[in-house]
Amino acid sequence: MALTKNYGLGSEALLDAAVELVERAHERDTVFEAEATVRLTVNSFARFADTGPTQSAERAKLDVRLRIRREAGGQLFEAAASGQALDEIAMDSLIDQADSIAAISPAVGTPIELGGHVEVSTGTCDPATLTHGPREKAAAIKKAIAAVRAVGATPAGLFDTTGSAVAIANSKGRQVRNESTRASFALTVTGPSEGGLGGSGWAESIRSRVGDLDIDSVIERAIAKAAIGQERGAVEPGEYTVILEPAAVSSLLLFASYYGFGAKEVAEKSSFLCGRIGEKAFADSVTIIDNWNHRLHKSCSFDGEGSPKRVTPLVTGGVLGNPVTDRTFAVKSGGVAEDSTGHASPQPSSSGPSASCLCVEPGESSTAELIAGVKRGLLVTQFHYTNMIDPREMMLTGMTRNGLFLIEDGQIVRPLKNLRFTESLMRAMANVKAVGSELDISGALFDGEVITPALCVEGFRFTSSTDF
Amino acid sequence: MTDFMKLSVAATAAAKKAGAEYADARVNLLQMESYGLHNGDLENASVSEECGLGLRVLVDGTWGYAATVGTDKSALHEVAMRAVNAARSLSSARVKRVTMSEDDLTSGEYRTPVREDPFALSAADKVAFLQSVDKGLQGEESVVARDVNLGIRRERQWFSSSNGAEQFQELVRTGAGVSATAAKHGIVERRSYPASFGGDYRAAGFEHVRSLNLAEHAEQVRDEAVALTSAPICEAGERDLLLMGNQLMLQIHESVGHPNELDRVFGHEVDLAGASFATTDKLGEFQYGSSIVNLVADSTVEGGLDTRAWDDDGVKSGRWHVVKDGVFVGYHTSREWAERIGETTSRGCNRSEGWYNPPIIRITNLSLMPGDWTLDNMIADTEDGVLCDTVKMWSIDQRRLNFQFTTELGWEIKNGKKVRMVRKPTYQGNTTDFWRSCDAICDESHWRLWGVPNCGKGNPMQVAEMSHGCSPARFRKQTFVV
Repeated sequence: MALTKNYGLGSEALLDAAVELVERAHERDTVFEAEATVRLTVNSFARFADTGPTQSAERAKLDVRLRIRREAGGQLFEAAASGQALDEIAMDSLIDQADSIAAISPAVGTPIELGGHVEVSTGTCDPATLTHGPREKAAAIKKAIAAVRAVGATPAGLFDTTGSAVAIANSKGRQVRNESTRASFALTVTGPSEGGLGGSGWAESIRSRVGDLDIDSVIERAIAKAAIGQERGAVEPGEYTVILEPAAVSSLLLFASYYGFGAKEVAEKSSFLCGRIGEKAFADSVTIIDNWNHRLHKSCSFDGEGSPKRVTPLVTGGVLGNPVTDRTFAVKSGGVAEDSTGHASPQPSSSGPSASCLCVEPGESSTAELIAGVKRGLLVTQFHYTNMIDPREMMLTGMTRNGLFLIEDGQIVRPLKNLRFTESLMRAMANVKAVGSELDISGALFDGEVITPALCVEGFRFTSSTDF
Repeated sequence: MTDFMKLSVAATAAAKKAGAEYADARVNLLQMESYGLHNGDLENASVSEECGLGLRVLVDGTWGYAATVGTDKSALHEVAMRAVNAARSLSSARVKRVTMSEDDLTSGEYRTPVREDPFALSAADKVAFLQSVDKGLQGEESVVARDVNLGIRRERQWFSSSNGAEQFQELVRTGAGVSATAAKHGIVERRSYPASFGGDYRAAGFEHVRSLNLAEHAEQVRDEAVALTSAPICEAGERDLLLMGNQLMLQIHESVGHPNELDRVFGHEVDLAGASFATTDKLGEFQYGSSIVNLVADSTVEGGLDTRAWDDDGVKSGRWHVVKDGVFVGYHTSREWAERIGETTSRGCNRSEGWYNPPIIRITNLSLMPGDWTLDNMIADTEDGVLCDTVKMWSIDQRRLNFQFTTELGWEIKNGKKVRMVRKPTYQGNTTDFWRSCDAICDESHWRLWGVPNCGKGNPMQVAEMSHGCSPARFRKQTFVV
């Protein structure tokens, strides 16, 4: 926590430490190459429910990772060790551990040398986000609880502010550092009776700066989505035209991020890209870019190898592009390591490169206009517990949650009980009829976030229903 | 008293001095090693060590929590002030005061029984072990990914509370697994042993890894992955469902364990993980399953990933029925939640992921008690069914009712015989209909614990471990979908 003094995350100090760790590793005759990653996370959160604040934490952690490579007979042998301290004893211990495992490791299958000097953005840290504490969070929570109780419903939510700093240094002179902040406020509103009148609603705001969060809008939207006092109807499972709001789109596209857009999945024939690169598999209106530098939220400017993240088109006008790479898969794809798109996990790792900053290009219609264009269909706020049945077709299943509505003649006519969908992402993206203009950042149950507008998708398949 | 216990006690004292009504502190030292061979390459060889202090306080009826990396005693005052100030600030939004059950917190030490210390085995021996297993996966061109994984962890915790408890625990967990992914004709299928997502984990030493006999099963894993690429898809329709233990354990986890967490029942997890259909009005009366269904929570069972002496409230471990003869009879609780159902003491289910996170109610080891069938007899007694093996995909709604699961492999059963292998068997159902349809459970000779090392809950999410014991069982007339 001392590293957060003066309202900064101290990424320069982290980089100095990373450089020192690499230099210290090279004092060993056995070490051929080394790469050090030092990461500081400072987090403040407060969670709340009907009783008021329920959990909170004011916390900080330091993660230090050292990758060591030995060389013999033209082959490389590597391993990594992680710790949480930067004193001399801790550094020496890390070097001992990584080096001793590298000594007994089999040779690296595709020996790619570490990358050299690069220039990257160092990012920005918002002081107000970094110093945002329980007192400020309590004020917003109090406001949300009062608003939800005023409509006879029950609140639950999370106010989270996080500062992250990371630095990577290696033997080839690569020295990169970045600082960023992230703030989020989410509210779930549960009606007085889940099985009868009133369901549940949800809204969230995620931004790089806490001052950019629109708390009032979150409260208003979450309460509206709960449709308190309105009887929820039921529709039969089947195919419907749907308006998927950003959170629903996010929970689908994140599976392409986890399992499809990476070069390793393509090489191992499990990606939906296999045999389809260059084909127009999605609708014309669908363009997806991996963009760490989006105006709504900037993430780290480099990847786990310290390579600059490139803004990478993945789907352009419905045409599927090449997968993202790291240094190893840049070479395996027929290029050189410097062709890496900058999507590596910290190495060595069994995880291949992944596109973790998906952004869907907006269209020209507001969400209201998308709804107005639907003769009969469903408005989906969010999906719950989406999971993947098949990676090649991206067959997914999950439940609607926190606001499912029937649309008739361009109007929202009533809230509905929830449905389970079982649908292929490939088919859904091919059936996109319109793309919304209003971008938002949303995550899902598992890791990751997507910047996307709402989508209108025809023939979206729901396979079973619930009575709530 | 060790230095780390002194630090823990000093932290609770600092919190009391700063104004806490109650405080507890945990110093955690977590050591892990993980190794992963992918297509014969050692793609993952890492060791890690984490150490830090988490301090929880109750001030003005509101929780506060602060955590810091390392064990620097000079940081204690700042950590205590942060926790107390957080609680005090947040209490301005309090609606109801937090109260705690009057559990008798004891002091002592607990260590996971370990026959072969996994940390004593050299890294070279561990890698050689994985390489020997990988040999059995080789030799099939259509196998595009071969994985052999090994993970070991040792967590030491020094817990103290302001009412005098001093508890030291050393929990050792070991696990390994093997999988093969085959790709043919545009079809990709994976097969795993003994369980998917990294294998099977247990609170034990390296003797657990040896007992899995991975090398002996590797060829079968490879061959079944290849065979699946040519197998027909499991057809839609209504048939009997027979579940092997490595799938049934997840059914227990998702449709009994999570809805049984009392904080979830009262809506305190609805902001991410969801709520529960198993509301308190159902306790003691609700027919959760058929009369042969007995589900027992047990944080004392040998080998359980949540087997320990105390939880992170300092409450001792225990064993109790959640479902008895099919009737819903018990919850997972903590000191904060026990009184909500009229219980004076906690079941001891409050746990956190390391020093960085405050505790929340977690599923402990939760098991389906054995019946009296053999697997052969159960198959012979099935006219039209599918035997499903190994978790592939799972999804369940926010109240834990509507679920859909897919397993890696299925065997069609016709007139008492396994007739053909099918891929992607996917069944969809409702929790209570499912458990009420259970009419056969295999006996104790088929029963074993299955480890879940990756259970996510909380917001921000925390990961916890637990085990589920079961033997294969049959569920009549379930709905298969394509």
